[in-house]
Amino acid sequence: MKLDKKTNYIVSGLERSGTSMLMQILYAADIEISFDNSRKPDDNNPRGYFELDGGKIINLLINGEFNFDKYKAKFIKITAYGLRFLPPGKYKIIYCERNIEEVLDSMEKMIGIKDKNRDDTKKSFIRFNNMIKKEINNRKDTQSLYIDYNEILLDPEKNIKKILNFLDLPHLQLNKMIEIVDKTLYRQRKII
Amino acid sequence: MNEKKFINIQIPTALANKIQKRIEGTEFASISSYVTYVLGEILSETEEKTEETFTKEDEEKVKNRLRALGYLD
Repeated sequence: MKLDKKTNYIVSGLERSGTSMLMQILYAADIEISFDNSRKPDDNNPRGYFELDGGKIINLLINGEFNFDKYKAKFIKITAYGLRFLPPGKYKIIYCERNIEEVLDSMEKMIGIKDKNRDDTKKSFIRFNNMIKKEINNRKDTQSLYIDYNEILLDPEKNIKKILNFLDLPHLQLNKMIEIVDKTLYRQRKII
Repeated sequence: MNEKKFINIQIPTALANKIQKRIEGTEFASISSYVTYVLGEILSETEEKTEETFTKEDEEKVKNRLRALGYLD
């Protein structure tokens, strides 16, 4: 399915908030996404990270070295901190949010160390998440859709339809996209 | 002296009955456990919505975490 040739498409959110799963969902619908094999699948992301430059794209953005023209009409993954450095352009962003405790649990698992100052870390990330959302909402060159990771697991059809409508795409591949939502990957799930 | 870990709270019977029906077949073993979960979520959401400024100190904490995760040099 084709996207607008003049627009850069971004999947974003805090790290460990479901961004890789969103990329997989888009990929399943034959929506063009760009990624490389610089970071191999592992226990933290068994199906892969679906990112560019080993996830170090933020460094390129900070230095003004990322070529957005090369990625028009394609989705790339830029985690939330990188959104601060988007140059003027035309963007559609799907921003994934997740229960903050699950995000922190997943970060700790990936790093392999328990956070001794977890409450402080949590507050910093909450403030950061709120700040980033405000920043992108205030940009005139950006349209954003907020998807809740926990809700997409509960009702994939409803949330994937939101994504397709946001992208002005038909619902032809809806079932393929829904299949990607794999509850067994929900390793830090809280009880509902 | 033993520290009290729980207090008793009253809710209308009609509400309790609704909750009982809702939790049938779920992982919640009791009305208390469900109510505890829901109130915890609400308080958590309220904390998340608090308008607080993102400080330089916050930014350093976030960046340190990104470095540890391999997203920043």
